[in-house]
Amino acid sequence: MKLEIQKGSRSKILAIIVVGLMAVFVVRLFYLQIIKHDEYVALANSEQVKRLTIPAKRGLIYAMDGTRPVELVLNETVYTLFADPKIIKDKSKITDTIHRIAGGNVRPNIDVLLDKKETRYQILATKLSRAQAELIKKEKLAGIGFQEVSQRVYPEGGLAAQTLGFVNAEGIGQYGVESKLDARLKGEDGMLQSVTDVSNVPLTIGDRNVHDPAKNGDNVVLTIDRNIQAYTEKALATGLQQTGAQKGSVIVMNPENGRVMAMANLPTYKPAEFNKVQDADAFNNAVITSPYEPGSDIKTLTVAMGLDKGVIEPNSTFVNTDSIKVEDRTIGNATKGQTGTITMQTALNYSLNTGMVTIAQRLGDGKSINANARNTMYEYFHDRFGFGMKTGIELAGEQPGTIIAPTRQEGNAVRYSNMAFGQGMDLTMAQVSAAFCSIINGGTYFKPTVLAGTMSVDRKTFKEDTVQPVRSAVISPSSSAKARAMVYEARTKFYAGKDKPGYEIGGKTGTSQTIVNGKYVDNQTDGTYLGYGGDDRPRYVIMVQVSGKNMNLEGGKHALPIFTDISNWMIDYLKLQPKG
Amino acid sequence: MSYQRTQQFSSRRQQGWNRNQNTTRFVSAIKLGPVAHTVIVALMITVLGLIYLTQATRATSYDYQAKEIDSQIAELTTKKGDLEVENARLTALEAVQNSSVAREMTQPASTEYAR
Repeated sequence: MKLEIQKGSRSKILAIIVVGLMAVFVVRLFYLQIIKHDEYVALANSEQVKRLTIPAKRGLIYAMDGTRPVELVLNETVYTLFADPKIIKDKSKITDTIHRIAGGNVRPNIDVLLDKKETRYQILATKLSRAQAELIKKEKLAGIGFQEVSQRVYPEGGLAAQTLGFVNAEGIGQYGVESKLDARLKGEDGMLQSVTDVSNVPLTIGDRNVHDPAKNGDNVVLTIDRNIQAYTEKALATGLQQTGAQKGSVIVMNPENGRVMAMANLPTYKPAEFNKVQDADAFNNAVITSPYEPGSDIKTLTVAMGLDKGVIEPNSTFVNTDSIKVEDRTIGNATKGQTGTITMQTALNYSLNTGMVTIAQRLGDGKSINANARNTMYEYFHDRFGFGMKTGIELAGEQPGTIIAPTRQEGNAVRYSNMAFGQGMDLTMAQVSAAFCSIINGGTYFKPTVLAGTMSVDRKTFKEDTVQPVRSAVISPSSSAKARAMVYEARTKFYAGKDKPGYEIGGKTGTSQTIVNGKYVDNQTDGTYLGYGGDDRPRYVIMVQVSGKNMNLEGGKHALPIFTDISNWMIDYLKLQPKG
Repeated sequence: MSYQRTQQFSSRRQQGWNRNQNTTRFVSAIKLGPVAHTVIVALMITVLGLIYLTQATRATSYDYQAKEIDSQIAELTTKKGDLEVENARLTALEAVQNSSVAREMTQPASTEYAR
């Protein structure tokens, strides 16, 4: 049968209309799909394809507990409870429920907040635990939502606060290792690009999905031993209470590798409550951020330098008149009466400035602190002991201190005579302690470090960093042995009464004049004590500093008891056996 | 009557293929016009589309399952983290020092060293 459409028939008209409509559709589709292709693809992608950030978890911070790492800083998921006042109807039920479950986490005026109908977002409670959030969710309150927030949590409270630092509200590390190692700790956020449904559930359809997983931050293990740190903080607090000093700092180091076992500062704070701190000075780790004139502690280094250069021996003598002239200045001793021909050991025991100036003179021509003497002193202090340079400790805010080179006009004989007994230069406790370690450990300088290694991602394997000396032969082993013996003698002579018998404990007092408004003042001195302890070899170095406004604090009276307290405890903690 | 033998012998069956190949032809009584063809093609496209949609929907349902599992993993990870924090708090120095065990401990009167 042959189908024919007759001219002018209704079928023909219908066919023309259908073809016409088809043509319209084709033209329209051509316009939409070909000409407007890119525009509509972009529009569809903006609606359907979502780019979600996968936040990286901040790395944990561990301390040591003997040989075992323990968590010092962890992450905790807490919840912020918010409301949309515009859609809330039963206000009393919401307030009752939130107060009953969230308690102290609730903001004080949530009734007022819920009355702000013109707003769509009001925070009613913060830092809710997961259990609290679950309980509130079960109540199925309309207009209530939760937001997950990750925050740092400190199971040990304020332990090692200045060493740790804190993480601010923007998630940026501030002070301490949190700031210094921020890049390592924060990791790298990942990215998920995917077609999503209306509930933002990622779907596998689509050919442009991207899944770049987050790289969590490193879990770092500090050299800080939490037991030593806790005892050090306790001993420092007790010491300050007994002396009335307002500020104090202690560093405990392992002289065999430069690892910092404890670093304490008072006043202190709790990192979890950093926003409540009134005086930002509490954030500073004075051990590394506050250079000061170290005073007589430096005499141990001056003696070591003289021994190493061969210009003195412990029993070398000089004539002490309690004063010595350097160019147009006369330098006197704080402790007077040891006049006559005395040994260098006696000079160190009594902390005589004249003895140290004599060593400086003997580094030159024996009569003056000439250029040769100054160059030698600078070489030891700057190049070998690292004064005037940052140690490189992994803590934010470290200061290099100041030491004047002999090439400068200010680097004259008077300054270098002062430097021989610890004045005329600004150093941090970390610098002095690290240098002291090198003169009692056989002559090897180690960078002070707070990093022991890293913990694996699964938090089961501790990978310990190897320690490399920065400089060897800072002084010779024989000079080191002599210097150590002299420091031991300096303590034994006057200050060993409360030491545990059978152990080798040496140290040196320091009382530093302070500068206020550019001038030395008489009514304010800082007390320091620098020493070591051990059995057959030095196992720890402790440096203590106490200070207070308008207070004359002395190393022997105010800093030394804190040293002795920590030292005796360290002997038990390290299970050292007495000699003999 | 005599028969002359041929050089090659082919049976009737062997010869039948060629000989009878055009003897019959099947012609269907049903004829498909252009409309029927269009409908069949449309139906085939519809069936294929449905198969595609079924598969795509099944893949999407897996996405929801995966999302559900991800949520469970996230929740369990959070719970694990909470327990770790609680563990760290309970084993913190202050907690240990204030424990009943620690309170019962006394200072040793003397210490002997094995040599």
